[in-house]
Amino acid sequence: MPTEAIDPPGVQWLRVSPKYVTVRLVEWAIGNVLLVAVLSLPLVFVLLGWWRWPPLWLAIAVPAVMLLLALWRLALIPRQVRAIGYAERDDDLLIRRGIFFQRTMVVPYGRMQYVDVAVGPVERSLGLCTLKLHTASTGTNAQLPGLPAQEGARLREQLSARGEARLAGL
Amino acid sequence: MSPVDPAVALPDKAVDGGWKRVHPASPFVRGWVALAAVGFFFSRDAFERMLQGRDFVDPNLSGRVPWLLAGGAVVLLLTVGGFILSWYFTRYQVAEGFVRVNTGFLFKQQRQARLDRVQAIDIVQPLLARIFGLAELKFEVADAGESAVRLAYLPIDQAKQLRASILAQAAGVVSEPGSTEEIREAPEHVVLSVPPGRLLGSLLLSEQTVGILIGAAVVVSASVFLENTAIFLALIPGILGIGASYWSAFNKGYNFTAAISPDGIRLRYGLLDTQAQTLPPGRIQAVMVRQPPIWRLFGWYRMHVNVAGYGAAGNSDGAARTMLLPVGLKSDVLRMMSLVLPDPGVDEPAAVFNAGLEGLAPAGHVPAGTDGFVTTPRRARLLAPLGWRRNGFLATGTALLIRSGRWWRTLVMVPHQRTQSMALHQGPLARRFAVADLVLHTTAGPVIPRVFQAGVTEAVELFDQQAARAREARKRQTSEQWLAQVAPQAPEVAAAAAQTEEPQTPNQEDRHDG
Repeated sequence: MPTEAIDPPGVQWLRVSPKYVTVRLVEWAIGNVLLVAVLSLPLVFVLLGWWRWPPLWLAIAVPAVMLLLALWRLALIPRQVRAIGYAERDDDLLIRRGIFFQRTMVVPYGRMQYVDVAVGPVERSLGLCTLKLHTASTGTNAQLPGLPAQEGARLREQLSARGEARLAGL
Repeated sequence: MSPVDPAVALPDKAVDGGWKRVHPASPFVRGWVALAAVGFFFSRDAFERMLQGRDFVDPNLSGRVPWLLAGGAVVLLLTVGGFILSWYFTRYQVAEGFVRVNTGFLFKQQRQARLDRVQAIDIVQPLLARIFGLAELKFEVADAGESAVRLAYLPIDQAKQLRASILAQAAGVVSEPGSTEEIREAPEHVVLSVPPGRLLGSLLLSEQTVGILIGAAVVVSASVFLENTAIFLALIPGILGIGASYWSAFNKGYNFTAAISPDGIRLRYGLLDTQAQTLPPGRIQAVMVRQPPIWRLFGWYRMHVNVAGYGAAGNSDGAARTMLLPVGLKSDVLRMMSLVLPDPGVDEPAAVFNAGLEGLAPAGHVPAGTDGFVTTPRRARLLAPLGWRRNGFLATGTALLIRSGRWWRTLVMVPHQRTQSMALHQGPLARRFAVADLVLHTTAGPVIPRVFQAGVTEAVELFDQQAARAREARKRQTSEQWLAQVAPQAPEVAAAAAQTEEPQTPNQEDRHDG
């Protein structure tokens, strides 16, 4: 993946598993298919003649717009997953994400209070996990989703060991 | 229920002696609302009859009086009994580098907090406690949310004594285990105080007042337009609320005094409820200086801090505790800055802070401002038409200064070794103008350090350098015990402290726990 403008120079990014796309697809389906289905109900009722309001164009337009937005989000998922990256440097961990709204974050090992590994049902069936880093700041929203379970465990051990070696107070 | 022997309650052999109880009156001071409620419940009836000019005791109910009295007595006994039990089973101990508190008799709770992790100690005196000469001690460790340890209530002298001994142990002053010598309170030196007149003025000229005036204008014009005066009645709760909020701000900010001592910064304030906060050196995570537009007429500023353990300023209590200076002149701000950041890491701190508070980059095509602050590049002036000459950052040897806001002038300062993590943000518009935002993550609090719209190359450079600087600064900071490091003090206080603390000096030990 090409390095973006806000990434520090000379960083070799590691990607998360491409299988994470499936997890995101399931999440997308649960959220958006339901939403579009519910928003389509007025259209069905109007077509069946049960409802006089809303007018037909509105009943079509609302779910159609939502469907377009949902499809747009669907099309973005593979690219968004490809945009997630992390890099272990000597003293800190870099995490990046996003295509339109990009974020590159640096978490010093000595600042980590603890490291979480969480696995949801879909992730478990694909052998993936989500790694979460916690510092004393609530603003540190450092998540690494879609890591292969083995890589997640390795990273957790590695980060804990490095954190211990460099542990600083607040 | 038999009294619990603390040695049984805590199997750890190292912690036996020195368990103490809080003042016996404390449950009554804390629970006076419950007592008042019981009294109110049983006396209301008689009181109402008295007001109506009838007999004090309802003659028709004379048969029920013994039952009522008995019921009242039972409720009263239960309440008082609960108070006594809760007092009896509350014990605390300061030893071995820990402060421990045991509470509860049905559901026991044991808490211990490491002294060298202390972030702040507050002594709080609500009005009633003040009348009885009592005080509550709040001990914060690095965890947002509730206080780690609260001791309510102790006699004020004992609370001060305990604070001194906790701070001394946290600082790394080691006294022999057998020694009964009391640890004296560290000497302090008052740095500034806020006159009540200025506080009142600052409240009357606050953003809140402007909002109220606008709201009042809207309401008056609406009532004139609709020819309806009932609209004013609906405002009464709002007016009461506004009055209460002004009163609470005045009550909290009254007699605000800041002092420096070897134990850190002392802040005292309060009209009816008084509070004394102690912030040990190096515990301040971020500072913000802010000036609303109207305050510019008088040259007033206000300051907020992030301290781990104080948490976000969600409630009014938190808002008061994170206030470093409710209102002050620029000289006050500079003095506070010198306490918070004794070593600013630049040659001319006053000039730099001045530029941070008021500076404005030249409007022309100059890449970097002449005052040292790196501001938003001219190409992005459409993104921030007002703020682009103001938004900027400056990294000194010890801290990162971030300034922003053309109208609400803001200067944020984060010491390098306090940076938790950092993130660069860039949206599509920012990418179009080749700028990016840098967010520094710090502990929960009112200060959210963010560099707005810095040029991409400058932002990435700062991001990289800042990570390195934070790393270096953390390496220099080897211990949580501030006496083990060079204690940051105002020079004259350091001299005074050196004289008065002479007998303790041989006891100091260079303990590094890093």
